[in-house]
Amino acid sequence: MVQSKKQKYMFLAFCLVPTFIMFSIFTLYPLFSGLYYSFFDFSGSSANMEYIGIENYIRLINDAIIPNTIIHDYFLVVTKIIGIMILAMFFAVALTQMKIKEAPFYRIVFFFPNIMSVVVIGILWTFIYNPNLGLVNSGLEFLGLESWTRPWLGSETWALPSLVLPSIWAGIGLFMLMLMGGIANISKSYYEAAEIDGANGWKQFWKVTLPLVWPQVKISVLYIVITTLNGSFIIVQVMTGGGPNNSTHVMGSYLYQQAFVQYNFGYGTAIGVMILILSLITVFILQLLMRRDKVEY
Amino acid sequence: MKRSIGEILGKAGIRIPLILWTIAVLYPIFWMFLGSFKSNAEIYRNPWGFPESFSFQNFADAWTNYNIDTSVFNSLIVTFVGALLTLVLAIPTAYAIERMKFRGSNFLFILYVSAMMIPMVLGWIPLFFLLMEFNLLDNIVGLAIVYAVSQLPFTIFVLTSFLSTIPKSLEEAAAIDGMSPYGILLKIIMPLSMSGIITVTIMNSIQFWNEYFMALIFLQSSENYTLALAIDFISSEAQYTNAWGTLFASLVIAIVPVIVLYAIFQRRISKGMTEGAIKG
Repeated sequence: MVQSKKQKYMFLAFCLVPTFIMFSIFTLYPLFSGLYYSFFDFSGSSANMEYIGIENYIRLINDAIIPNTIIHDYFLVVTKIIGIMILAMFFAVALTQMKIKEAPFYRIVFFFPNIMSVVVIGILWTFIYNPNLGLVNSGLEFLGLESWTRPWLGSETWALPSLVLPSIWAGIGLFMLMLMGGIANISKSYYEAAEIDGANGWKQFWKVTLPLVWPQVKISVLYIVITTLNGSFIIVQVMTGGGPNNSTHVMGSYLYQQAFVQYNFGYGTAIGVMILILSLITVFILQLLMRRDKVEY
Repeated sequence: MKRSIGEILGKAGIRIPLILWTIAVLYPIFWMFLGSFKSNAEIYRNPWGFPESFSFQNFADAWTNYNIDTSVFNSLIVTFVGALLTLVLAIPTAYAIERMKFRGSNFLFILYVSAMMIPMVLGWIPLFFLLMEFNLLDNIVGLAIVYAVSQLPFTIFVLTSFLSTIPKSLEEAAAIDGMSPYGILLKIIMPLSMSGIITVTIMNSIQFWNEYFMALIFLQSSENYTLALAIDFISSEAQYTNAWGTLFASLVIAIVPVIVLYAIFQRRISKGMTEGAIKG
């Protein structure tokens, strides 16, 4: 090589240093100072920043709303995993193995909501749930189920479950594509062998398809967990704002309310630390649960 | 393989859920477009059907009365500056990590990629005060910088995997011919990885165009609102003003650029997103 060692280091620094500085300032520093802020009583002006030790965390444990926000988050995690994985798996198998001519059309349509803004999705679904104008209630009336109509997002019981449908609607395409990628990689010979052994379609799914796409299933489930725990507050903020009467608050939306509406920034960061810890623990436990011996033939 | 009647029926049966889901996806979007042409009275009278006439009054109202023009401009700036800055920061780093083996290259890669799993909501509170200190709060360029850095992990992840497919011999030949490493990066690597660069740029642009929550936190005055915030504002106003038609018109304005991009780059977008998702 013609270049000297010094030139090489200069070039390396040119490539790495500016990016790393920006990353440190706008990602690493905020995360670590988030941990630091959580030990302060901090309402926004540095003059009123007082070290209070673990008091924010004591408050967190005694806050009656916190357990509900955690339950709400995990309710969304579980219902989304079940809803998305079943539908995405069904669609992925149908589009790869049923030799449907117009499969590319479905693939493109089903993925489309994945690139829509959460604001647009949230507003669209708020209108679909609208008690007077919305599609859900008018659909129920059309079917003669008037007694089932209700103000979905205005009901303390129904508001949270109502948030699941838009999340599934918006999420399914991505996971369907991931599973389709996994299924496409399965060698045809396994199915031929299963066919000769007399396994029907259902049995082939359980004995061949599912074990062989398990890596994709695992990644999808982990991805749903991470994105829900870290991001479910966006759809909550758009569609219900945490209401009615805190019945849809998740950890993130409660953090937003505490920090940016009520200016309890120290307490807000303590909630953020809780989200971080719960996400890491959940991902760790899930990886243990879903550890399954790699299938090799 | 023989085609039995059962198989044909089975195929028809499979199509029913596929068609139902197609309707479930397309009808609300289609209906949003129809709603943007209806007057408020008509939306109340006939919320889900075809409009009586196609009037562009709602678009004109949104554009002028609700300052959608300013928000579109702001969103364009944020998207363009953000996407460009992401590339400027990510390409050299991805190249160095993938191609120049140095001590710590693996560590640096893991550091960037693991940031994809960290809930950033914790960082947003300190970031708020940091931007305030830099005088970048309530500033669309400040928001663009935050966006760019937030997409660095994903962009570096996708670009490194893309760069690994470019043959090394080309760089070696250029180096022997006396080209500087800067020249190699700019004149050899960048043109060869253009396809990967385009893919991540489309993904990042859609992300920035759609983003809502950081904009909500970091922008305050309405003349700096991005489209997502402007729509959110109209939506909460509509509870009182019943400006549903205007709301739908602004939703349509927000979604049309994304539809156009998706129509052109459908394969790249779905491929880029599934690759980016594999990060758990």
